[in-house]
Amino acid sequence: MMQVRELTKQYDGKVVVDGVTFQIPKGKVTSLIGPNGAGKSTVLNMISRLVARDSGLVDFDGKDIGKWKSKELSKRLAILTQTNNIQMKLTVRELVAFGRFPYSGSHTTAEDEAIIDRAIAYMELEDFQDRFIDELSGGQRQRAYIAMVIAQDTEYILLDEPTNNLDIYHATNMMKIVRRLCDELDKTVILVLHEINYAAFYSDYICAFKDGKIAKFAPVKEVMTKEVLSQIYQVDFEILNIQGKPLSIYY
Amino acid sequence: MKTAAHRGNRTKLLVLAALVLLAAAAYMLVEVNFSNPKLLRFSMQLRTPKLLVMLIAAFAIGGASIVFQSVINNTIVTPCLLGMNSLYTLIHTAVVFTAGSGSILAVNANAAFAVDLVLMGVAAMVIYGYLFQKTRHNVLYVLLIGTVLTSFFGSIQSTLTRVMDPNEYDALLTTLVASFSNVNGEIIAFSLVVLAVIILVLRRDLAQLDVLTLGKDQAINLGVDYDRSVRRLLLGVTLSIAVATAMVGPISFMGLIIANLSRQLLRTYRHSQLVLGSALFGMLILVAGQLVVEHVFTYAIPISVFITVGGGIYFLYLLLARRRV
Repeated sequence: MMQVRELTKQYDGKVVVDGVTFQIPKGKVTSLIGPNGAGKSTVLNMISRLVARDSGLVDFDGKDIGKWKSKELSKRLAILTQTNNIQMKLTVRELVAFGRFPYSGSHTTAEDEAIIDRAIAYMELEDFQDRFIDELSGGQRQRAYIAMVIAQDTEYILLDEPTNNLDIYHATNMMKIVRRLCDELDKTVILVLHEINYAAFYSDYICAFKDGKIAKFAPVKEVMTKEVLSQIYQVDFEILNIQGKPLSIYY
Repeated sequence: MKTAAHRGNRTKLLVLAALVLLAAAAYMLVEVNFSNPKLLRFSMQLRTPKLLVMLIAAFAIGGASIVFQSVINNTIVTPCLLGMNSLYTLIHTAVVFTAGSGSILAVNANAAFAVDLVLMGVAAMVIYGYLFQKTRHNVLYVLLIGTVLTSFFGSIQSTLTRVMDPNEYDALLTTLVASFSNVNGEIIAFSLVVLAVIILVLRRDLAQLDVLTLGKDQAINLGVDYDRSVRRLLLGVTLSIAVATAMVGPISFMGLIIANLSRQLLRTYRHSQLVLGSALFGMLILVAGQLVVEHVFTYAIPISVFITVGGGIYFLYLLLARRRV
């Protein structure tokens, strides 16, 4: 269970996250959306301990996230950011094997190998597993990283703009993977998204940010309304209903 | 996970180790008079400490260079940038300048070694322990500080040499070039102890090196205390370089060559192998180089000239051959 209370962050005197309070629904997909600079990525980075917070509480399973041993936390919560440039010559399989580092260090056991095999198979990377990461396409690389996170075997998975730099085909596949992580593997997924319709179509809850504060945190249908969205983004919206899901058109 | 590449690398490392052994044997035995036991013993006494110093220095520089590159996440940096070379030059110049070339601090190798190590150790602690925390653990600041300090120490040193007595300067110059003559047993033992302590203290951080190279975010995600590990590793790198420099003089530029040779040969992310490869390459270059210097050029050219020229060319090659940025 993850609860966030009065989370605040300033950069050079400018408040980017301002007294944010929310609770992450367990076993669901929650998307953080909002305009540029609304503080959604900063919130994600703070609740995953990548960025230090100025004040506020991040309660994770009854203990503040700062009080967790980093290694223990890494068995419960995984974060994937966009800054993944590796200088090393690393194959897909070796990357996925890093997911077992919190458990076994650099020496993987037979059980770890089985988990790595499953993660690679789940992401359909068997044919690429001996290829070097820097020789893959953007979509394949993203899948390799997701496989690593699956091998890490955490209840919570945090993704910072997983569809960034992907074309429509790969981005849609990525969102389907996110959905499967939740539905098939029972993960709690929290992700930052720019594309509102992906958030609407593939997540259960949407947390909309504006100016460092939460504008609306509710099930998808309640956030995806003309009034809420145009208030957040300051543009006109129309909401359509497709396959029982609200999709937005903006202009 | 024992992949084919992993096993292949083991073979490469074994071949490399065999070459080092061969070079070491050649260094010990070339032009030795076996018929006269006294002469034989004399050559052995002369050559053993030199060989040991080369092996230790190569190990310290090779290991430190790989670790440094991985921490900075850039394969064309060298621990030279930490400013230890120029600090060494400054210390020696200052000693000769203030106490004279005949003083015990300049003449006695043990005393000079102690002064070097203490001053460089303290500087490393202050600069890279304290400032690193102060600058919020930004490794780029470390590079910047190192670069600024290098020219700072260099300027003071050149000022001192300008006002120095020319004869003193002449005496000074020989100690400012890396060399393997005039080494003694106590320094070797002491250096070994210092290096062993560094490795022992940092063993956990060293085990995290593979993960550190995935980048800060990934390292934290996988449960590594990134800031702490990087701070400790940088300190270890600086101290190892200080030991090597105090032992043989400023040759840490060699680190750039051997670390990259190791990366090119092994093409892996495993630091256990990379460090070993780098150290072995260092040993090979130093021992074989010294063999050539002693027996082909009869000491006319110091080994550091070869290392700097060869290293410079290799560095250019690295810059030009890197297709992707």
